Order: sequence, then C-alpha cells, then structure tokens
Amino acid sequence: MENPTKKPNTRGILDWFDPRGRRVGGWGFILNRLTAIGLTVYLYLHLIMLGKLAQGPEAYDSFIAFAKQPLIMFGEMLVIIGGLYHGLNGVRIALNSFGVGVPAQKQLLYGVLGLTLVGSLIFGLRMFATH
Amino acid sequence: MSEEKWTVNFVVYRKKGEGAPHYQTFTLEVSPEEYVIDGVERIWAFHDRSLVFAHACHHSTCGACGMRVNGVEKLTCITRIRDVTSNGGTLRIEPLRNFPVISDLVVDMSRLYVGMDKVHAPAVHPLSMAPLEGEGIKPPREVPMDDGKEYLRLADCIECGLCISACPVAGTAEEYLGPAVLAAAQLQGLGRAPDLTAVVDCVDGVWRCHSAYECTAVCPSSVDPGWRIMDLRRQVLAQRIRRWFGGA
Amino acid sequence: MSQYHAIVVGAGFTGVAIAHDLALRGFRVTVVERGPIANGTSGRTHGLLHSGARYAVNDQESAIECIQENQILRLIVPDAIEPNGGLFIAVDESDLEYREKFIQGCEECKIPIRELTPKEALRIEPNLNPKLLTAFTVPDGTFDPLRLALAFAATAKSNGAVFHLYTDVVDLLTDGQGNIKGVKVWNRAADKRFEIEGDIVVNATGAWVGQITSMAGIRVPIAPTPGVMVAYDKRLTQRAINRLNKPGDGDIVLPQRRMMVVGTTSFSIEDPDYVPVLPDHVALMIERGSELIPALRQTKERGAYMATRPLIGSGAPGRSISRTFKAYDHKETDNVEGLVTITGGKATTLRLMAEKTVDLVCKKLGVNVPCTTAETPLISYRKFYVD
Repeated sequence: MENPTKKPNTRGILDWFDPRGRRVGGWGFILNRLTAIGLTVYLYLHLIMLGKLAQGPEAYDSFIAFAKQPLIMFGEMLVIIGGLYHGLNGVRIALNSFGVGVPAQKQLLYGVLGLTLVGSLIFGLRMFATH
Repeated sequence: MSEEKWTVNFVVYRKKGEGAPHYQTFTLEVSPEEYVIDGVERIWAFHDRSLVFAHACHHSTCGACGMRVNGVEKLTCITRIRDVTSNGGTLRIEPLRNFPVISDLVVDMSRLYVGMDKVHAPAVHPLSMAPLEGEGIKPPREVPMDDGKEYLRLADCIECGLCISACPVAGTAEEYLGPAVLAAAQLQGLGRAPDLTAVVDCVDGVWRCHSAYECTAVCPSSVDPGWRIMDLRRQVLAQRIRRWFGGA
Repeated sequence: MSQYHAIVVGAGFTGVAIAHDLALRGFRVTVVERGPIANGTSGRTHGLLHSGARYAVNDQESAIECIQENQILRLIVPDAIEPNGGLFIAVDESDLEYREKFIQGCEECKIPIRELTPKEALRIEPNLNPKLLTAFTVPDGTFDPLRLALAFAATAKSNGAVFHLYTDVVDLLTDGQGNIKGVKVWNRAADKRFEIEGDIVVNATGAWVGQITSMAGIRVPIAPTPGVMVAYDKRLTQRAINRLNKPGDGDIVLPQRRMMVVGTTSFSIEDPDYVPVLPDHVALMIERGSELIPALRQTKERGAYMATRPLIGSGAPGRSISRTFKAYDHKETDNVEGLVTITGGKATTLRLMAEKTVDLVCKKLGVNVPCTTAETPLISYRKFYVD
C-alpha cells in the first residue's frame, strides 16, 4: 500500500474553479469564491482611491474624472453584482447553517441569483440615469 | 435485457510508482446495460494485466470501487454504461481526487479512515438511528426482535470516499475531516456523544465546509452529508447558546 | 514462539483468516494478493451468515460447521454483522413437503428453529409473500463481505503480518528437487518484481488454486462454480429470507444497508478470471425472488454481479457437491514439500477453514501452539488502513 509521495491527488486552488462535473451547489461555491476574490481586489483599489484624498483636491478630482470612463463604470457594475451575490449567498449559507432550508439549497441559490439580477438592474439603471 | 452492443473507448489514467501519469485508451465492446466496473475488470482480464484498480462487492455495499467517470465521482459497480456514455463514446476513468494515488485507479483513503475512527463512526447501528423513512416500505419498526433487542443494521455510509473527492475545499485543506466523517458525527448526535464536540467544532471540522453540496450530489448511499454537516453546525450553535446561558 | 515464515497467497476470506491465525500462533506472515482485499469471490458473496439450516437436510457436515461458526463470528466481529436472524418460508405445496425433513435436519445439527404461523411471520416481516404457508425463524445473520475480511486482515497486520496487495504470484521458487521454498512476485502498483522466501507457502486462492498449483505441476480437483446475484434498490426486510426447500436458484433474499440482494444461480466455467453476468440469470433472480417478496417487482435493479464458488471435486453438478472445505498437504498427495492448499468452504466457515489449515501447517513444521481465534475478538477493520 506504499505510496511513494503521499501527496494528495489535487490541483489545489485550481480545483476550486474547475466547473467540470459541478452541479448547482458547486456553481454556487465557484461564484462565491470568484466574487470573494474580486471584492478583495476591489477593496485594495478602493483604499488606494481613498489615499488620493490625502494628496489634495486636484489629485482626487482628476481621479474622479478618470473614474467616469465607461470601462471603469463597467467595473463598478461588476463590484455591485459581486457584492450582491456574495452577500445574499452568505445569507443563504448562514440560514443553512442554522438548519434552515438545507433541502431547498438549490432553490435558495436560484433566489439569490434572482435577487442579484434585480438589484443589479436597479443599480445599473440608476447609475446610467445619474451620469 | 437486449443483446445490444456498444463500442466504447475507455480512456484510463495510468501511473506506476514514481513514474509520470498518462492516459491509455482501450476500445471495448460492451452491453449498455453493463456497469462501468465490468468494463474496467475486462480491461484487466483481456487487455492489460498490469492495471491496478479496487473493487470487492460489486453491489454498492463495500465502497471500494469509487472512481471518476468523465470527471464525476461514481461508484462504478452501480453506474450503468448506458447512463454515462453513448455508442462510440468515451469513458474517461480516473482515480478519486484529494487522496494520494497508489497506482492507476487506486488511492490511499487513510485520511477518511482516520477521521471515521476519530468520531467513532459506528459500522453497525440500531435501525432507529437512521430509519428507512420515506421509502414506501413497511419495516416492522414497532416490533422488537425475539429477544426484545432492537434491529441492527449496517450504516448507510460505505466509506467510498466519493464525497471527499467531490468536495471543492478538501483539496486545499488536507486536515479537513470531510463530509463522510462529519456525517458520521451527526448520525450519533452531539447530545448522545458530547465528546465529539471538540473534534467537530474547529476550523477543520464543521466550519471548513463551504456549502457546495457536491458531497450530497455524489453520495451513492443516501447519506446526504451536506444536510448532515449543516445540522451538525446547528447542534454546535445550539450547544454554544446553551452554554452562554449557563446550561450544560 | 516459532520463527517460521509463512507465505499466504490470496487475501480473500480464507487467506486473511489464515494470516490472522498464523500471526496469533507466532508465525512471521507475508500475504501476497493480486488485487485489493477480498476482490474475488469473497467480496462478492451475498453476505448471508448461514445458520446452517440451508444445509441441514442434504449436507449436515456443512450445516454443523455453519451453526458453530455463526455463533463465533457474532462474538469476534460484531462490526461487520447484522445479527437480525432469518426466516425460512414455504410458499407452495412442494415447500411444505420439505417441512418435516427440515425440522429433523435442524434438530440433528442443533440449529435452533421456531415455527411461526403465517400471521406471525407477516407481522414481523410485512413484505413477505402474503400467501406464505409456514415459516421458521433461524439464527441467520447478514454481513458486510469486505469489512468481514478487513477485520481479519487488520488484526493480522496488528500482529505483524505484512500485506503485499496488487502483487501477482508469477512463479513458485523451488529448491531444485521440486520442493517449494517461496514465491516470485510482481507488484503491479510499483511495477517491481521480487522474490519472497518462506518455510511454507499456503495457497488460499479459492477458485484459483489450480493456477498456483499448476506452477508446481500439481492438479487439484476444483470446480469453479459461479452464481449470479442481483441487488435491488430498497430494503424490504430486516432478516435474511430463505425458501423452505432444498437449495436452488434465487432462493435467498437478504437485506443489506438500503438494499435487498437476491441470489444465486449455479453454472460451470473453466477460467474464473472473468465471468460474465448472464442476463437470463438476472431475470431469473427477480422471478424467483419475488415469489418470496412480491414487492421486489416494484423496486429498481441497483447492481448485478457474480461470484465464483470454489467447489471441491469435479464431475458432479454444482448443487450436489458438499459445501465443506479441504486442506491438502502436497507432500502427502504429490510428494511436493513446502506447499499447502486450502479450498472449498464458504464465507461463514472462514475461521474454521483457517484453523484447520494452520493446524496442518503446524503439524508439518512441528509447531505445537493451539488455535485461539475462536476466543480472540478482532480489531476495527479501519485499522487495516490506519497504522
């Protein structure tokens, strides 16, 4: 039974995102991980942006002008979608962890996706309306 | 049963000793009603005697023949070829994930057995511990045996390792107890076996689970580990809350 | 304590039980097995822990072995056994004609039975054929085949036995005079070939004993006799259900986890390495099984498989051969020293088969240590994997 290396047969973090053979709950997990990483990256960008405040009004204003480009606005849209999904899915998992709705975890996930979609649409419309 | 014959390409993961893994294709004529393990055993019997694979009972009571079939964890003795490929199609046969590969299709599952021992998972338990509810059958629950004792039955969990292989976090957390082990702890209940709390209420216990529910999806034996992990969390939380209010 | 080194070929029921017995009696033990534990006939048994009642009329030697070993196994390996008992039921007039012989046979073999009225039987097992005519309780049980074997292997390992799994015996080592002094093996997992020398080689390969003995030019009268079994998707009883009649096809139905298993058939083959699961045998199982438990017809097939019994003797048809076992000292039968073959028997008598085989090995080597396996509880089967 000797195994020469004893290293588990895994690709580590890559296996988090491998969608092959995954079902509804597994997709929920993949999206949760992706949005978590996206939001973490955004948090750092956000801190850099806040740092501009310390460099005076000019630096801040030029940054705000830069931030009104369509590409950046698309990025902000992603942040909203990611934030909504991650937060709502967190509620789903917390409910499950209290023993609520586990047999309906798929339906809850569809609900999370639905609410994310609706929330993102509302935000998107508001964003385009104000700019 | 029909005499229908299919030609199926078995693409099999091969690995010997320290050698590099590779895939080898065997083309077999099979009946679509046969099970995947029948094909694998025929590869060994008629094509390549060096193939290493595990199997024992061939009817899903032993859990030895878990493999990945076209990327999905399957107990190959109850997976009909008809359900996983088509005539002229491919069956990619790989060892389970998240365990060390011993050779070809066999993995070292000691990680699972260590965990099952840690939670003193019962191999045989009273019928009432996991009753056969909802199966449309009439088990004589209210009638004890001749000697007044309760019926015993073999636990549902066959320790096949499919759940650990399918779990997306088991690969990055080697110390994680894993779905089967947590399910076995839940089956006993923290109320009846309070010493289990310390084993499961930790970072590599119930809190490592990220609710992908892949374990429940691949479980061939009606254990539903996903639900059991969540219920175990509920038990752990209830116990903590009781402690805050000075309860036992 | 002897310092003799015994090599056991085969890690099915007999092989692991022999390894356990040898280790307890102080031998240095090496087990060589070409697959994992119990991958051949042993793993694929339907899992009936016989009370012996099945053989009480036609094969009383086996029946007495079964009832004694049944009671021992319940005590030494409770982790692998559902001790819920069994029933023999009569569903037609020919079954009923067997009743007298059955009662007498069980009495002669000291198998405790109790007759139930059809109503009593249906009360404790509501899914039985409601037209049943009579029923007897018997001390049957069911077991998990792999875990039964693993418990013996784990205990042997804890007492020092070394297991080489996925390792084929490719030849026997001889001393130049035709006597056996070890085995030449091929470990397929590491793709390595090596030799193991020992004082005695025990051939415990069941239906495959002929493949090993032929390496020493010896023929053993063995009739590989496969049978087909089918598992269904629901657990419909708590006990093993047998047909009250002489042993035949599809007359045992037993629960296992959430399943029912129906067995078995009986046919002859030459090479036991691969035996197809014959579709007409599968169809026969549902036919015969549903005569005992009609609800089987409404359940889905979950698995179909076959196992090859190692029956002793050739020429006679399968069911008429005794289910007892035999240990051959090839010094006596073929003038070849260093090789012992054990075959025949059945899962329920694995411990006894090992006891008799190791008694023979001890006698040959002049070792005087009594067998203690009947009183020694086995350790958890999981310890086989966990050092």
